Amino acid sequence: MSLAKPVMRGLLGKRLRFHLPIAFALSFVAAIGFKYGVTEPRKQAYADFYKQYDAVKEFTAMKEAGVFESVRPSGE
Amino acid sequence: MAHPSQLGFQDAASPVMEELLHFHDHALMIVFLISTLVLYIIVAMVTTKLTNKYILDSQEIEIIWTVLPAVILILIALPSLRILYLMDEINDPHLTIKAMGHQWYWSYEYTDYEDLGFDSYMIPTQDLTPGQFRLLEADHRMVIPVESPIRVLVSAEDVLHSWAVPALGVKMDAVPGRLNQTAFIASRPGVFYGQCSEICGANHSFMPIVVEAVPLEHFENWSSLMLEDA
Repeated sequence: MSLAKPVMRGLLGKRLRFHLPIAFALSFVAAIGFKYGVTEPRKQAYADFYKQYDAVKEFTAMKEAGVFESVRPSGE
Repeated sequence: MAHPSQLGFQDAASPVMEELLHFHDHALMIVFLISTLVLYIIVAMVTTKLTNKYILDSQEIEIIWTVLPAVILILIALPSLRILYLMDEINDPHLTIKAMGHQWYWSYEYTDYEDLGFDSYMIPTQDLTPGQFRLLEADHRMVIPVESPIRVLVSAEDVLHSWAVPALGVKMDAVPGRLNQTAFIASRPGVFYGQCSEICGANHSFMPIVVEAVPLEHFENWSSLMLEDA
C-alpha cells in the first residue's frame, strides 16, 4: 500500500490565487458600499433639502429666534 | 459651526462647498478601496509561513500595478481639476468686501458705495450670553446678502493671517502687502463661523470670523444703520 505524494510546490502561489480575488472583491464591495451608503445618500439629502427649501420662511424663523445681529426679532 | 464629536465637514452653505463635499466622498471611497485591499493582503501575508524564494520578476504584475494606480489617479484628478477651475470662474460679484487681518482681530470694509468699516473682535468668554459659542462669537459680524456672489479681498496689516469659513468653503491667506481675492455665494440665510487659519501670535486662536447671510433688504437696512452709527 502506498500513499499519494503530497503537494510540495506552488503552495504560496495557490494561497495567493485563492486570496487575491477575495481581496479585490472585498475592496470593491467596500467602495460600492461607501458609494451607495454614504456618497449617494448625501447627494440626495442635499438635493431634497434645497428642493423644498423656503429661504424666507427659514430666515423668518431664525430671525424670531434671535440668531441674527443685523436683524432683531419683531418684538425688539 | 462644528458640533461636538463631529467627524466630517460642516454642512455646506455654498455651491462650491457642496462640490468639495462630494469630491471628498469620491476621494474617500477610493481611499477605502485601496486600504481594504492593502489590509487584506497584509493580513494574508503575515498569517502564513509559506515562502517562494525563487521569484525573479513578472512583467504581467508589474504592468497591472503600474496601470491600475495610474487609472485611479486619473479618476481622482479629473473631478479635482473640474472643481479647481469652477472655483476660479469669473462670477461677477454683487459686492466687494475687504477683510484685513490684524493682531488679533479682523476689520471689514464695505467701500463699494459708501465708506463703511468696522473692527470685529472676539467676544471674551466671560462676556458671552447664554446660547453664544465660546471662542467663535465676534462683536461685529460680517453681514452679506444671501444668494449673491460676494468678492472678499483679503490682506493683513501686520503678520500673516488667514480668513477661513468652512461652511462656505472659503480659506484665503492674509498676507501683508498683498491683496488676495476669493469669492463665494451663501446659498441660504444663516450665521457661519470660522477661525484665523495662519499662526499669527499669542491670540491666533482668539480672532474668529462670523459671516451673517440675510436677505438683501435687511442687508441694506443694516448697512444704513452701521453708517449712521459710524
